Amino acid sequence: MDSNVTPMSIPPGVTSPISERAQARRETVRVLIRRPAFIVGNIVIIGWVICAVLGQRITPYDPFNSFSTGHLPPGPEHLMGTDRLGRDVLSRVMVGSRDVLIVAPLAAILGVVAGTLLGLVMGYYRGWVDDVLSRLVEAFLALPVILVALLTLVVLGSSPVVVVLVVGILFTPIVARTVRSAVLSERQLDYVTAAKLRGELGPFIVSREIFPNVLGPTVVELTVRFGYAIFTVATLSFLGVGLQPPSPDWGLTVSEEYPNMIAGIWWPTLFPALAIASTVVAVNLIADSLQSVLNE
Amino acid sequence: MDYSELDKVRRSTTPLQLDTVEAFARGRLSRREFIQRGTIIGLSMASISAVIAACGGTTPTAAPASAAAPSAAASSGASAAPASAAVAGGKIRCAIQRPVSIDPVAMQDLGGYGITAQSFEFLCTQQTVGAAGGLAPGLALDWTPNADGTVWTFNLRQGVKWHDGSTFSSADVVASMERLVKAGNSGLKGVLDPGGAVATDANTVVFTLVGGNGNFPYLVSIYNAQTLITPADYVAGTTLDKRPAGTGAWKLVTYDQQTGATFERNPDWWGGTTSLDGTEFIFFDATGPMITAYQGDQVDAIVQFDVLTGAALIDDPNFSLIATPAALHRQIWMRCDKGQFADKRVRQALAYTFDRPALIQQLFKGRAELGNDHVIWQGYPYYDPSIPQRAQDIDKAKSLLAAAGVTNLTATLHVGQLQEIPDLAVLLKSQAAPAGINLEVAVESLDTFYGAQWCPADPADPPCSGASELGVVDYGHRATPDVYLNAALKTKGIWNSSQYSSAAFDAAFTEFQTSVGVDAQKAACTKIETILNEDVPVGLPYFYNYLAGNSKKFTGVFSSALGQMSFSATSQV
Amino acid sequence: MARFIARRLLLSLVTLWLLITIVFIIANVLPNDVGRTILGPFAPQESVDALNQRLGTDRPILVRYVDNVLGAVTLDFGDSYVTGKPAMPQLASAIGRSAKLAGLALAITIPLAIAAGLFAARRRDRPVDRAIVLLGVTSSSIPEFVTGTILVVVVGVQLKLLPVLATPPATADIPTQVRYLLMPATAMAIVYFGYIARMTRAGTIEVLQSDYIRTAAMKGLTTGQTMRRHVLRNALIPTVAVIAVQIGYLFGGIIAVEKIFNYNGMGQTMLFAAQRKDIPLLTAGAIVIGIVYMLATLTADLVIAWMNPRIRLDAER
Repeated sequence: MDSNVTPMSIPPGVTSPISERAQARRETVRVLIRRPAFIVGNIVIIGWVICAVLGQRITPYDPFNSFSTGHLPPGPEHLMGTDRLGRDVLSRVMVGSRDVLIVAPLAAILGVVAGTLLGLVMGYYRGWVDDVLSRLVEAFLALPVILVALLTLVVLGSSPVVVVLVVGILFTPIVARTVRSAVLSERQLDYVTAAKLRGELGPFIVSREIFPNVLGPTVVELTVRFGYAIFTVATLSFLGVGLQPPSPDWGLTVSEEYPNMIAGIWWPTLFPALAIASTVVAVNLIADSLQSVLNE
Repeated sequence: MDYSELDKVRRSTTPLQLDTVEAFARGRLSRREFIQRGTIIGLSMASISAVIAACGGTTPTAAPASAAAPSAAASSGASAAPASAAVAGGKIRCAIQRPVSIDPVAMQDLGGYGITAQSFEFLCTQQTVGAAGGLAPGLALDWTPNADGTVWTFNLRQGVKWHDGSTFSSADVVASMERLVKAGNSGLKGVLDPGGAVATDANTVVFTLVGGNGNFPYLVSIYNAQTLITPADYVAGTTLDKRPAGTGAWKLVTYDQQTGATFERNPDWWGGTTSLDGTEFIFFDATGPMITAYQGDQVDAIVQFDVLTGAALIDDPNFSLIATPAALHRQIWMRCDKGQFADKRVRQALAYTFDRPALIQQLFKGRAELGNDHVIWQGYPYYDPSIPQRAQDIDKAKSLLAAAGVTNLTATLHVGQLQEIPDLAVLLKSQAAPAGINLEVAVESLDTFYGAQWCPADPADPPCSGASELGVVDYGHRATPDVYLNAALKTKGIWNSSQYSSAAFDAAFTEFQTSVGVDAQKAACTKIETILNEDVPVGLPYFYNYLAGNSKKFTGVFSSALGQMSFSATSQV
Repeated sequence: MARFIARRLLLSLVTLWLLITIVFIIANVLPNDVGRTILGPFAPQESVDALNQRLGTDRPILVRYVDNVLGAVTLDFGDSYVTGKPAMPQLASAIGRSAKLAGLALAITIPLAIAAGLFAARRRDRPVDRAIVLLGVTSSSIPEFVTGTILVVVVGVQLKLLPVLATPPATADIPTQVRYLLMPATAMAIVYFGYIARMTRAGTIEVLQSDYIRTAAMKGLTTGQTMRRHVLRNALIPTVAVIAVQIGYLFGGIIAVEKIFNYNGMGQTMLFAAQRKDIPLLTAGAIVIGIVYMLATLTADLVIAWMNPRIRLDAER
């Protein structure tokens, strides 16, 4: 019963035979690109990706080595003001997307790949494999993500690689549970029975027959996890165990500058905070659109 | 000059004290240095005033060491105001770092220092008027050395009572010292051996030292935070909350490591009746919330904050800032034994890229003093200002690198996550770039940094031989530079991460340690400063001020540079 | 029902054992010299060895594991490295404080979010629905430390409406305590609002589309009657589940919020423990929160089973 009621479980979207799959996919894309939420979300994300890739080539000032008077308010010279060391906030916000846009997607991908594999195995084989793995997944789900990340980062020392691994591993069971429930409903369908009757082997059925049909929920899960990953990495950076200075990372910048807000110096905190919010909102808008389109 | 007045003082002093008086009379010590130096070696404030007057100077503005005013140490904090405006009663709420330990013998953190010093007291406390770094009587009324500084006699204050009503005596002092020596107190190690402190009567303790030491009173003062005097039957390892005791102005009422501590007035304090009824300490894990809490009117005083997070307070007209010049500093160590910095010219080149005034302005809003790549702080009485100050000189840096045959110097600058240090690293990187030095900044959590970059436990011999090539490490305030010299710079020193090994320096340090008189100590310091400035085992761009402060609703708050804040003379306005 | 509960409890015990094992692995198998961690890099090796012996951290890993599991059963996680006192009693008061904070956050958010979700579902695809969905996506996307910081500055410092520290005076009555906790609880409630509102909306829409609701409408029941009798109960099933699942996430937010408001609950305690590498305290915290999470999901499952007999029977089969 646990899987039937999970919020993340997606009823299987497309159940058509392989030949019609491509056409269905084209249809999905057509519906998607007409949704304003999907478009807005993509524009924001693409904007941040451009900032991350081009970095210093498009920032108005050198975000790392250009020091002027500290804490200048926003004005024509510095559109978002300057930070405590007199660096241009706009330039730093622009390059600040870089670290999180590398770390968060990697963590999400790690979590989704591992989780999907686990979910496929659990859902298809059922029996004792499923029982054992399900218990493990349950136990992992009971772990508070941030606290375990804190524990691990303290023991291992903080580095971007460790952040990716920890967040990715902690996401794995959540994804596994979603995929498992999708597989459970797939495996009762005729095409799986047919494949079994043809004498196909388990791994083949799982990878070639079932997996393409649970791709929808997996893609949705990937975008949802991406959003969570940004959220989690930003929070870890704010707590001082995520990305380390001198990275212009948004969460880190907020934690460095937030005491100054009280003195009325809100700009070095507010703009990176809005950047975090805009990215997560954008990712969630995409996830939301994907989810509802695939459900129809 | 009034020679008869001077002679009167000369006759009543011991040789060591006389040496200081002579140094001042002949102009080898400034007035400020003389007051500071005089209080350490036990000259009374009256004698100091007499000598200054005799030599044609003005007397110090107040006489904090006058034995009749026992609360002297706290009589005039940064926020002095006419006492007439004071309102009796009330409570002050103080933000302090959450203590790790409040075991007075073993504690190592500012939070612990701050809490224990509310109830317990020191033999000598900090002088707050006339000169920074001087000493004032605490539980000891006065102290005198013998001719070579090997035996020090401390006269204790009489009529002092413990919080439980029993009488304070020399036995308590002897037992406290014994506990400290056995616990390996870093200040007393090698200075005082077990059995070195002896009570000759109920109010006199005689310390027989391992060797001559002209600075001994510092080591049993507020500057050596563990040397609080605890009851004779106190067991080492007991925390203040387990056994609330003390001779001081405040009695511990509640202590909760999670939230905070409260104290109430000790009506029987030898220093008189405090204006406030009680104090409350609220524990914080970070400076940010302390500042927020102050702005939200939930605390009245802050024990310590840094400029980067507390910039808001510095410009706040309702906040009285207590900025105490201190020996607090950062050392930019460079490995002298191997690697890219083994050539002294390369180390000098990096030091020539530091734009020190810009660093002080950007990181401390000016609340710091220039450093000259040696650990002798301006505030020390034996500081020699004659060594030329190193300033930014990119051309010089380039030519030094060229002379050393180094091109494209690329190195990783390792730093820990502490206060302004990551920002310092970023600034150093950008200042070094024009000279063709490319620094990569690597920031780690403080624990990881200490264990992996600064002084890895392995290999253990010589200590710190596993240290990284280049990094920045923090040093706290010390009343004397001995720890910096002994641990960080002496050959095989326990914190010698630059692996600096210089016979000339070691000799100068030994000379400094064994010298007792002013001239001798100053001469040794001149050598130390010259050698360190030339060899640059560590770059030292600044000594920054210790910052504390309180709301202007209160007056008479005193702060040390080691987390101790005193409210015994505090009153509401 | 009894069989269902028994089965569910038994499974929970297995999960708990696995949980303890996972935390043990993270805390112990990774290279970590406990004595060195406590005493710091400056301590001589002899003291480090002596301490390791006293703490028993030099014993074989399996012995320590068994010790750990047995200890966890009695909620004894060993002594804190920092204070030297047993970890669990130190946590108890912190747990109480965090429970108050989390409880208030839930009390604020659940009624509001469910109302918003139902409201949106009944006006599906109209502007007000789209607005609520957008608000939900946005509110659940902004990390607590961002909203918390903005609240502190605007409400606490500029407007001076609410205290900026969450810890009330020791003798405070309940309204005063709520006043102190209102801001941090709001910061958490905002994130939570989005999840619950969207889940309620989705559940309600699904139910509204189902056959039996159409039948009810044809029978001539008013919308209000239909909502009360049929929709609410079924639509809330996924909502109950999400509330339980989110307990774990709620804790992530609590660390950041407690840091901003200097509130000494579990979050601050854990952060402090992490900064000082106090592994026993961290372990205890992780397991305690795990237990809370399991109890929450267990309760949710029971509530759901009670709301929907089909699930209960399915599980018993």
